[in-house]
Amino acid sequence: MIAATALLAGGTLRREDGASAAPSSRQLARLGFRELDAARRTGEPSHYTRSEQALRRALDANTNDAEALIGLASLANSRHHFREGLALARRVQGLSPDTALVYGVIGDSLIELGRYDEAFRNFERFGAVKPGLSAYSRISYARELLGYTDGAIAAMQLAVDSAGDGGEPSAWARTQLGKLYFSQGRPVEAARQYRLALASYPEYVHALDALAHVEAARGRFARAIHLERRAVQQTPLPQFVGALGDLYRSSGRPAAARAQYRLVGVLDRLFVANGVATDLELSLFNVDHGVRLRESLERARRAQIERPSIEADDVLAWALARNGQCGQGLRFSTRALRLGTRDAPKFFHRGMIERCLGHELEAKRWFRRALRTNPNFSLVWAPVAREALS
Amino acid sequence: MKQATAIAAFLGVIALAALAAVTALGPEDGTASSHREAPLISEDPTADLTDVYAFRSPDKPNTVTILANVIPGEDPAAGPNYYTFSPNARYNLKIDTDGDVQPNLIYRFQFGRKTGQFFLGDTAQPYTVSRVQRGRTSVVAKGTTPPNNIGPRSTPNYRSLVTKSILSFDGGRSQAFAGQRDDPFFGDIGAIFDLVAIRKGTGNMGGGKDFFANYAVHGIALQVPISQLDDSDHTVGVWATTERPQMKIRSYRKNGIRRFQHEREWVQVSRLGNPLINEVIIPTKLKDRWNRLSPATDAQFVQYYRQPILAAVINQLYGLGVPEQNRDDLVAVLLTGVPGLNNTGSKLADMLRINLSIAPTTMPNRLGVFGGDLAGFPNGRRLGDDVVDIAERAVAGKLKGHPAGDLLGDGVDGNDVPNLNVFPYENIPPSGFDNAKGQQKP
Repeated sequence: MIAATALLAGGTLRREDGASAAPSSRQLARLGFRELDAARRTGEPSHYTRSEQALRRALDANTNDAEALIGLASLANSRHHFREGLALARRVQGLSPDTALVYGVIGDSLIELGRYDEAFRNFERFGAVKPGLSAYSRISYARELLGYTDGAIAAMQLAVDSAGDGGEPSAWARTQLGKLYFSQGRPVEAARQYRLALASYPEYVHALDALAHVEAARGRFARAIHLERRAVQQTPLPQFVGALGDLYRSSGRPAAARAQYRLVGVLDRLFVANGVATDLELSLFNVDHGVRLRESLERARRAQIERPSIEADDVLAWALARNGQCGQGLRFSTRALRLGTRDAPKFFHRGMIERCLGHELEAKRWFRRALRTNPNFSLVWAPVAREALS
Repeated sequence: MKQATAIAAFLGVIALAALAAVTALGPEDGTASSHREAPLISEDPTADLTDVYAFRSPDKPNTVTILANVIPGEDPAAGPNYYTFSPNARYNLKIDTDGDVQPNLIYRFQFGRKTGQFFLGDTAQPYTVSRVQRGRTSVVAKGTTPPNNIGPRSTPNYRSLVTKSILSFDGGRSQAFAGQRDDPFFGDIGAIFDLVAIRKGTGNMGGGKDFFANYAVHGIALQVPISQLDDSDHTVGVWATTERPQMKIRSYRKNGIRRFQHEREWVQVSRLGNPLINEVIIPTKLKDRWNRLSPATDAQFVQYYRQPILAAVINQLYGLGVPEQNRDDLVAVLLTGVPGLNNTGSKLADMLRINLSIAPTTMPNRLGVFGGDLAGFPNGRRLGDDVVDIAERAVAGKLKGHPAGDLLGDGVDGNDVPNLNVFPYENIPPSGFDNAKGQQKP
């Protein structure tokens, strides 16, 4: 009432003491979200740690802050702790069932846990209550997993149109659309989308990296290296650095390649230090590059138990095959292909397993399928498939 | 060297320690791509309504003008200025003429985009305006938006570009426009989001910072004869919505062709009638729900009007003792209309209500009805109505005679650029070339 009296006397309105000094749970939750988005956009993993700090402080201020909990669920997913992400997102669903995004986050967790029917139901619910870039892009991914390539492209086009032009979300959606084209052996359309992304959002690292893959597919290694270096200079993500290594290797510069491969290991540790589980990613990189095969198999096994998605099934199948355990590999390859996904590397891995089991005709059928889907699916392995067929 | 520098900056201190440890581990160890992550921020700028205005046109008082804006905070100088309306959304202006809180008339704007190699830099968009009335939809006008205001070299004579793109229909009695405009909203949002802070005095003494100065929006505009809307009680309700097509995952087959169901079912993703309702009244966990419902179902939200969160916040921060309970005064202003001014009956619905029998004033008062000017908010809303101050004072109990109801405000009393005195009234958007943001008010 003192303040009110002062007010009536024409004095300055002042806050009551104390309560106002600390930021609110809502402000902290928003900060957590911004850090999370920065992590996604820039790839710098220290944003994860900063995001977690802000979100935890928001929960300290209000244990049931739905926004902070969605942030934490999403953060858990970003760090590949999908069971934790699911549990948190389900908690938000109980507290705030009308918040559309929660169905997207639940679906994200379920996808990576291999629970596809449930995941798709959640994505559809998201798309039914709040259609827009976030929902359309997830539906596109679901269709891609199911092998409905045209439908996946149509959905991602809708995501692009929803984003409006300009800004990172629009560039992200265009890059995803381009990657869909590329994965189906349509590099010209892919490159067009990457260029549009770069025109509206200059030097966008994900588009630079993706365009490097197109240039490499065309055999233009100098251009590809230039693009990939521009991506790496801004944001040295492990996958960019690994791709740069592959480009050096394919253009006959093994020493430069090894330098990049070494960096990948360093960067991986940085992600691990910021709470990201990288067993699956590390295993695939090592198996692809023929190093630490036995250790990588163990990693792949652990990852497949932690996150039994078709991606993990496929990496485990590939790791088993590279360790000579092709019978078991076949089992996981079958699991990896169970949705009907049209993904050239998965077809190729199956071909290698079949060949290892002495099924020559079957193997050739899978190699042809891989190359028909995307003749440029890998700098390292597409030539192997071609050689097997010649 | 550049790469090494970037990496060093990126890694920071932790990584330098890791680097030392790692050299011993040998070559060829690392990770490939992680799982894909869609943008988390679910905001949808091209469908996000920022403001709706409805007023009798000052220069043509026998017409009413309705404006709705989307895409908050377009920064003309932050990289390429490529903001556009979404080509897969429907932008609706809805009008209830008879007080049953259902739309009797809908004007719908739908946009395309130019195709061809250089479409990205070309922000002029073809569009149609349709009218939905008694269950029938007919196209009433077709046109093209002006391009965005890039600067004097890319888009010279911007004003004339706009004038040329205004559409006339119904035999010249009505007009429509769509395109990039100056954001006419003004307010110290930076301070408001900082716990309703007030920079100077009690807020009625200026000194605020207009966070909307030099930002643009995309606006749709309509001007129709009052005779088309007016009925016996003269009051109509106005609100805007945006819709996007629902999308399912699984396909179905028709005539042997695989099809995906996504074009037919439209889902409302944003709505706006009175200003600041979704920001100030509706709790966070119900915002998505509120946005997809029609005003006719607003009775379910009445408790948040009767006991507004903002009143409690103001008391907590400033100890003003403003009424926190039984705020039927706010229910009247925002959900039924003010008796004797623009009441539409007992049905609770968030619509911007305007009594069309009240003539426009030549010297508008920014506080509208609170300032004794019946031609302003909450009787419709003009571009110059200071809805932030009005909202703060209304919540502080102006209508209940509480003294704080005359004193609160954000210290920003008007738009940073003059609004136009002709259709579409919102000024031309700031160009990237002339950009100068964040004006400090005297």
